[in-house]
Amino acid sequence: MNENLNTESIRQLLNRSSCRLQQPALARLRDLRTQALARYDEHVNAPVFAWTGAASTSLGHTVSPHRGHYYYYCAAAVLLAALLFTGTTYWQHVTEHDNSEVDIAILTDDLPIDAYVD
Amino acid sequence: MWIDGLLRRLIPLIAATLLCLPVLAATEAWTELTPIQQEALSPLSKGWDGLPIKQQQHFLGLVKHYPKLTPVQKERLHKRLEAWSKLTPEQRRRAREKYLAFSKVPLEKREQVKQMVREQEAGKAAASSVPSVTPAH
Repeated sequence: MNENLNTESIRQLLNRSSCRLQQPALARLRDLRTQALARYDEHVNAPVFAWTGAASTSLGHTVSPHRGHYYYYCAAAVLLAALLFTGTTYWQHVTEHDNSEVDIAILTDDLPIDAYVD
Repeated sequence: MWIDGLLRRLIPLIAATLLCLPVLAATEAWTELTPIQQEALSPLSKGWDGLPIKQQQHFLGLVKHYPKLTPVQKERLHKRLEAWSKLTPEQRRRAREKYLAFSKVPLEKREQVKQMVREQEAGKAAASSVPSVTPAH
């Protein structure tokens, strides 16, 4: 047996073997592949906590958690942006109200507002 | 796994709600204001509905002080409110800074400055009340 098998030689061997398969067997393999790919998509899209390290396996393929990661990074970024935006707006609102005491003092002072305005 | 699905729907919903919160705060029409708000902000009644929400909130913040004002202060507020509303936020910020700095000046000095300003104002008022005479050629 040739011990110097590499990826390319394995691929060639598999291709050669598949040529010898009967048509029904090929069709069955094609169906199984389609089903496996469908399951792969479900696995990657469904579990939100895939990124926690529980990389699931399906038909010998390790499901990449990258898409789960991507979703979480996006969600975290959007949440952070939303929090920052809301926080800033709220802070501005609070600051405006904090100024009301000084504003009312200026508006009712015995000096006209021109004295304070440039 | 149901919690995953729930979170998947909740996260975008929370984010969208947070993003929309400031936008949801709509402007208040003049007719929706309380009688005390309308009384305090009466000089702004004409242009109120066209004011940006931020400015409306700014003026509504003043209303809480209104019941505590004396009649003289109320009159001053009404006289100055329109001019104040026309200032830019930067001008208002500078005015606040000046007011706060001035309030730290010793009382005696403050009174002197106030007296000077009053005299200047009186001079201006007198000058504007005298009709301008065109010299005859």
